[in-house]
Amino acid sequence: MTSGELTEREERQLRECYAALHELAATCAVPAVRTAARAAVAEVHVALDGQALEFEMYTHRWLAEGHERGRG
Amino acid sequence: MSDQSFWNQRTETMPRAELAAWQWRKLRTALAQARNSKFWADRIPTDIRSFEDYVRRVPLVHKKDLVAAEEVAPPFGLLPSIDPSAGIRYHQTSGTSGNTPLRTFDTVRDWTWAVDMWCTMLHGVGVRPRHRGCVAFGYGLFIGFWGMQDAMMRMGCTVLPTGSMDSPARVRLLVDYQVEVLGCTPTYALRLLETAKEMGIDLAVDGNLRIVITGAEPRPPATVRAISEGFGAKVFDVAGMTELATVFTFECPARPGACHIIEPGVIEEVLHPETREPVGYGERGVRVMTGLGREGFQIFRYWTEDLVIKRPWHECGCGRTWDWYDGGIIGRADDMRKIRGISVTPVMVEDVVRGFAEVREFQTVLRSDRGLDVMVLRIEPNDAETATATLGERIGAQIKRTIGLQPLVELVRPGVLPRFEAKAVRFHDER
Repeated sequence: MTSGELTEREERQLRECYAALHELAATCAVPAVRTAARAAVAEVHVALDGQALEFEMYTHRWLAEGHERGRG
Repeated sequence: MSDQSFWNQRTETMPRAELAAWQWRKLRTALAQARNSKFWADRIPTDIRSFEDYVRRVPLVHKKDLVAAEEVAPPFGLLPSIDPSAGIRYHQTSGTSGNTPLRTFDTVRDWTWAVDMWCTMLHGVGVRPRHRGCVAFGYGLFIGFWGMQDAMMRMGCTVLPTGSMDSPARVRLLVDYQVEVLGCTPTYALRLLETAKEMGIDLAVDGNLRIVITGAEPRPPATVRAISEGFGAKVFDVAGMTELATVFTFECPARPGACHIIEPGVIEEVLHPETREPVGYGERGVRVMTGLGREGFQIFRYWTEDLVIKRPWHECGCGRTWDWYDGGIIGRADDMRKIRGISVTPVMVEDVVRGFAEVREFQTVLRSDRGLDVMVLRIEPNDAETATATLGERIGAQIKRTIGLQPLVELVRPGVLPRFEAKAVRFHDER
């Protein structure tokens, strides 16, 4: 770590990681995995936000997709 | 070499134009989300084209508007932008004003953002992994220092939650664990010092505090000095709001009194208290807040009643491109009282009284005596035996010199006046 800025590789890794977690968080039927993914999505989201790379509201989509309250 | 003073160097040092563009991108997303809220959808036009357009066309919102919108269908009424059942925690305002509290909720996403705002603040004032921290507040519905607790855990610090402890137990903890970081209200920091003294403990010598983070109340310079000397630590101001979920400003180590606005998370306008027109840098006005973080409980152009003086970023010199509030929140527009034509705020009185080391606690009461406004100052000295009549005279004279008003000063026995852990209420208008 030699700079306070992300390298291109790190930025790509962060985006790829976010996309993968997002997909798991939205579609995975295993409660433990889905919950872990959602917590991790939130953590990675603030990292992306802090780097001015990505900003979005997303929980309402999961609500609409019917994965709440044991219906997933 | 990485500059370790920044939590996110990218957004803390980005050029102002780039920062404004990033804020606008986030605001646009937040406005689109707000279409899901009945309350906000009715207030905000659908075709906002720019930040200037936003300021021109979106009306100011007051706390009473939000409370009224909640009362339509408690607990959250018309406000939520998503189903509140997605909330992982509920909070509400402290209720120190005596009015109905405002209730809020946070999703996982919201709370993670709120905690990250706290991380920005904590890292900015020098908190690092492995620091031992103590959060001294009630851990109830009031959001207070909840974010600090979670942020320290997230950063890899060791944090001691002391919700159920009394002051002697907390003092013992500070010494036994050699705690380095303390978070509490300025009033409670003074209370801990008072308790330590009663226990025969000098926290500046026996403790290991390096950083004291005080928030939730305005704090005049005399109070800061007393806390800093008492703990032998650096004292940093922080301010947050339940309405935002988190902190929005913190005092910069590079310049005492310079409280940077965490601008990627919040848009702060400063308006004249009466005309409601924008005021320039260096002019006192009321803070109007737009939150850029929450997806569930959103806030747009909120008239906070907080009095502030904004200064441009480059006058700090720390490298952040975030503007700052000179002295943090310097008072409340709704705390301002006219006494015989003179404007007085609680902070003005506190700044004078805390300059007297012999004072342990105090209370200000405004009364009407045969049609004449009177300010009564009840002073509790450290030691009733050694307190002399001249103490009251000296305080009265200093108030007269500083504020221009002669108070009636009453000395009361030690332990008579109330103590506070959360927001202190020392100013009572009984007229």
